[in-house]
Amino acid sequence: MSEPMTAPTSAGALLQMTGIVKEFPGVRALGGVDLDVRAGEVHCLLGQNGAGKSTLIKVLAAVHQPDEGTIVWDGQEVSLSSPQAALRSGIATIYQELDLVPHLSVAENIFLGHELSTAGFSQRLRANRMARELLTRLGHSEISPTRSVGSLAPAGQQIVSMARALSRDTRLLILDEPSAVLDQEGVANLFRVIRSLTADGVAVVYISHRLEEIRQIGDRITVLKDGRTVATGLPVAETPTPELIKLMTGRAIEYVFPQRPTVAADGEVVLDVQDLSLSGVFSGVNLSVRAGEIVGLAGLVGAGRSEVLETVYGARRASSGTVTVNGRRLPRGSVTASVKAGVGLAPEERKSQGLLLDEAVYRNVTVSSLGAFSRGGFLNRAAEKRRAQELTTSLDVRPSGVTRAVRTLSGGNQQKVVLARWLLRECRVLLLDEPTRGVDVGARTEIYQLVRSLADSGVAVVVVSSEVEEVLGLADRVLVVREGEVVHEAAATDLDESTVLDLVMEGRA
Amino acid sequence: MKSIRNRFGVTLVAGLSVLALGACTGNDSGDDDKKLGGGTSQADSGSNDEAGDKVVIGFSAPAADHGWMGSITESAKKVAEQYDDVELRVADGTNDVSLQISQVETFINDGVDAIVLLPFDGAAMTPVALKAMDAGIPVINVDREFDDPNAARVTILGDNYGMGVSAGAYICSQLDEGADAVVAEIAGIDSLPLTQDRSQGFEDALSECGQDVDNRVAAEFTVESGEKAAGNLLQAAPKIDFLWNHDDDQGVGVLQAIKNAGRDEFVMIGGAGSANAMRDIQADNTVLKATVIYPSTQAADGIKLARLLVQGKALGDLVEVEVPRTVQLYAPVVTKDNVDQFIDTAFES
Amino acid sequence: MTDNIPASDETARVEAAAQETTREGTGALAVLNSSVGRNAGLVVALVILCVVGAATAGDRFTSTDNALTILRYAATIGVVSVGMTFVIIGGGIDLSVGAILALSSVWCTTLATQQMAQDSTWLVMVGVALAVGAACGLVNGLLIAYGGVVPFIATLAMLASARGLAEIISNKKTQIVQVPEFIDFFNKEILGVQISIYVFALVAIVGWVLLNRTTFGRRTIAVGGNPEAARLAGINVKWHTVMLYVLLGVCCGIAAVLLIARTSTGSSTHGLLYELEAIAAVVIGGTLLSGGRGTIVGTVFGVLIFSILTNVFVLNNRSQSEQQLLKGAIIVAAVLLQQRLASRNSST
Repeated sequence: MSEPMTAPTSAGALLQMTGIVKEFPGVRALGGVDLDVRAGEVHCLLGQNGAGKSTLIKVLAAVHQPDEGTIVWDGQEVSLSSPQAALRSGIATIYQELDLVPHLSVAENIFLGHELSTAGFSQRLRANRMARELLTRLGHSEISPTRSVGSLAPAGQQIVSMARALSRDTRLLILDEPSAVLDQEGVANLFRVIRSLTADGVAVVYISHRLEEIRQIGDRITVLKDGRTVATGLPVAETPTPELIKLMTGRAIEYVFPQRPTVAADGEVVLDVQDLSLSGVFSGVNLSVRAGEIVGLAGLVGAGRSEVLETVYGARRASSGTVTVNGRRLPRGSVTASVKAGVGLAPEERKSQGLLLDEAVYRNVTVSSLGAFSRGGFLNRAAEKRRAQELTTSLDVRPSGVTRAVRTLSGGNQQKVVLARWLLRECRVLLLDEPTRGVDVGARTEIYQLVRSLADSGVAVVVVSSEVEEVLGLADRVLVVREGEVVHEAAATDLDESTVLDLVMEGRA
Repeated sequence: MKSIRNRFGVTLVAGLSVLALGACTGNDSGDDDKKLGGGTSQADSGSNDEAGDKVVIGFSAPAADHGWMGSITESAKKVAEQYDDVELRVADGTNDVSLQISQVETFINDGVDAIVLLPFDGAAMTPVALKAMDAGIPVINVDREFDDPNAARVTILGDNYGMGVSAGAYICSQLDEGADAVVAEIAGIDSLPLTQDRSQGFEDALSECGQDVDNRVAAEFTVESGEKAAGNLLQAAPKIDFLWNHDDDQGVGVLQAIKNAGRDEFVMIGGAGSANAMRDIQADNTVLKATVIYPSTQAADGIKLARLLVQGKALGDLVEVEVPRTVQLYAPVVTKDNVDQFIDTAFES
Repeated sequence: MTDNIPASDETARVEAAAQETTREGTGALAVLNSSVGRNAGLVVALVILCVVGAATAGDRFTSTDNALTILRYAATIGVVSVGMTFVIIGGGIDLSVGAILALSSVWCTTLATQQMAQDSTWLVMVGVALAVGAACGLVNGLLIAYGGVVPFIATLAMLASARGLAEIISNKKTQIVQVPEFIDFFNKEILGVQISIYVFALVAIVGWVLLNRTTFGRRTIAVGGNPEAARLAGINVKWHTVMLYVLLGVCCGIAAVLLIARTSTGSSTHGLLYELEAIAAVVIGGTLLSGGRGTIVGTVFGVLIFSILTNVFVLNNRSQSEQQLLKGAIIVAAVLLQQRLASRNSST
């Protein structure tokens, strides 16, 4: 299965895509992509954001029709006319943004579109039983088939999506960044599931930013760059990481965190959180951050990390406790007051919580500082654009041009736009929730350096991340959150990855 | 202020369907054999019907959302067709006063010779009518009065009080002297002045022969409301001698309720004078024995008067050399004996 | 640091193309980006209507008097539609505008109000109309923003109760205005054009400035486009939502004043079906019903298209039923066009 392959071959391929071209008005998203996938292998698709991975899998799932190129499926040239046709052929896709109906139950979601029924009457008991079997096979028997999907955490929702794919006779499963919403245990579980699927002869196309995961699970790799295949069929075992990064970025880079200041920050305490609680989610959180300091919150998804940030910010109303910024106590549950006091948040769900996607870059930058650009309510748009241009240029947002819609930017550049918003406000406290989610390798380093330089300029920063490596590399001090409580606090240099993982899992080192 | 037969309740739903599909409440126009009298084709020379100078008449009325109102426009068009010298410009019916005003403004811009106007709301249409009169265009006001007498050259009115009187007098004429009869009344929308006028006339006429109204309910001019009101009334009054129903449109529902209750011990009198009601009277197989006319040909009369006015003619059988200022129409009682005389001009509900 | 990457031809080309499409203010692209360009479909529709009008009715259509008739008719519904544009861009909807207009017209023409106006100035009546409209809008806004009632339901309730209250106050009678100064003012002409038309123009211009040049407008777009992002960016979304409905309520009050001046009456039957007329005008004007996007210019075009359509039908003695059919077709065509444009924008 892992014999060296450097060129696509039709022999034994379940899927063979050749010369795929897809154009959108003004943009050539795919400019000739080749991909061959064999039954029973995990084929990893690598590439920076904007390389064309998403478009490629949408072509494969028949969401988009290719303008040129051929698709050979199971030895026959096919043209998949609709997502339904792709599903019927046995191609199932699990997208990054999960496509579930929140108000339907788990079982109803799993069998959506191919409901189990007799003469039009749904067989709910049988559907529930089969759903339970599927969930057990996926190692998540604790998810009740009758529970509504909206009440599940993102990780649970992903499991439901997987169960939905398995409920059909799937021969090719496409996973788009499946580990983004998972914790360590979830990832391990996911890999177990993938291995059992490939053992049954199912082919998996796996997309991820995390090279270490690809090392663990992948058989072969195809690398995309700027809508073209730059390498295909590379055996995972024999391709060194630097070479992969070079292929993806066109240059050799190292995954580096910025240098910490040699002297620990001893500035005044800017953010002081005392005994903060949100009933049912977390309780008794104490946190103080000095000017120039970066504090990391580590923990599993669902441990309450994001909720702590959102409560500090006032987006959730605390049930008890106080938040003080620069010695002034903030009213509970008021984002407006927090922003006024100089607090900024880069939320976890950048697209749905952070940005006005269809609006211009400059409008997203100035949205929290409109008062500074207005006189008597009238906006000075020239000044807005000028300031936004200065900021985005200094943050190297690409492509430049502040009047383009934010939607057209890659994840990393969108994150920079959010940061520019708070830079503009000259905020004293910056809360970052998963700052590098959906950000590609190259841009990550830039974001890290940006955060550090902000701290150096005197901002108090709090970072939440699922990636322990990131928290340890970026923060000065780390708080480990487990089941709604802070279980450990230490300087980042005193911790290592395995200690943090033990704390996160077990609550003790 | 005269009648505003308005259905508030259906605003939203009806509105949606109207926007999407266009109005579906069009009146049955199968009354081709309607004889409205006159016309240039059979005119004797020297008579008023003889073709004269060309007359352009603008016509505007509320939306034809029930039979009577539909017939208003239909009969106006019908009469206009009979005259080669009349060009009728019909602005389609609307219950939006703002739109009706702009229709009249268009007539003024066009410089029509006369405007026949049945306002959705008499007071609201007064300013624009005054504007037309100022521009030298005579306005013929039909049915719902303006609140300024200078806004119209001629006003044609039905007789709501007279309807009540005719219905009451008919009941008196059917009664044995001295007998005490149970008299019931199903009115239209109670808050409207026209309903109050009709009921007052009815009460006044009944008192002439020593009777009064024993049971009274109000409906809303719709079939459904008529059925409901009559159902309640019949429950409340186990025995009735006479029943007057103000409106034949709602009367369809009233008759259905009577049929459902299996009641036939009384005589029913209708109101307004729909063709439906008259056919029942003609057939003589229901409790409906008579109806009181509220003419739906008022606007047609308005067209005829507008033509005479512009051509400088007078009403033939009057001595006066000018068309009168106000014409109030009579509310006759239609029974089996004289139904043939009226059925051709009756409106389809 | 990305500067050191030798950009491939492909990247360079894509970026160049992307920058070109975003550059404002030069050449043919500028026209497409201007409000006239975005409303190209509406301009075409308007021109077609005018050509049809001129061809079928000649001078009767093209005369100045007729143009003024169209504008006087468009004024009331136009003022409401401008307000409605804000509410819809802000992610809401208001079904109660016709009812609020009726209530305003009735309240402002009660004997008591008129007595006050006679004792002092006719401006009292204008003040009452605007205040009633604003109060109804406030109730709508509070219910929606703080009560958590969905806009459709909250304003449906207002639709029923405002008209009900108008009927109670007026006892279903038409109330005649006895303050001639009030009527005279709005029917006064400047350069041959009535004040009421100037009022519409003023409302449209103020609306445009408010939407495009002020923080209020920018926040409206943010609140409608992504309420969660707007909230986390520090905008007081709830209060802003309330203000949007108050703004629309005030517009209904202004429209009530115009309608009172036009009819010299206040009545509970005023403004029937205005909610549908206004929503239709806003939608064909290119404003997304889902919020976050829309233009005042488009709305004004929408109002004019419907008003001219009505006028052309009246001039040609055609039935309103046919006109309604055509209106429906125009709405569907406009929305289909919008969706095509929207999907083209989001697929890149």
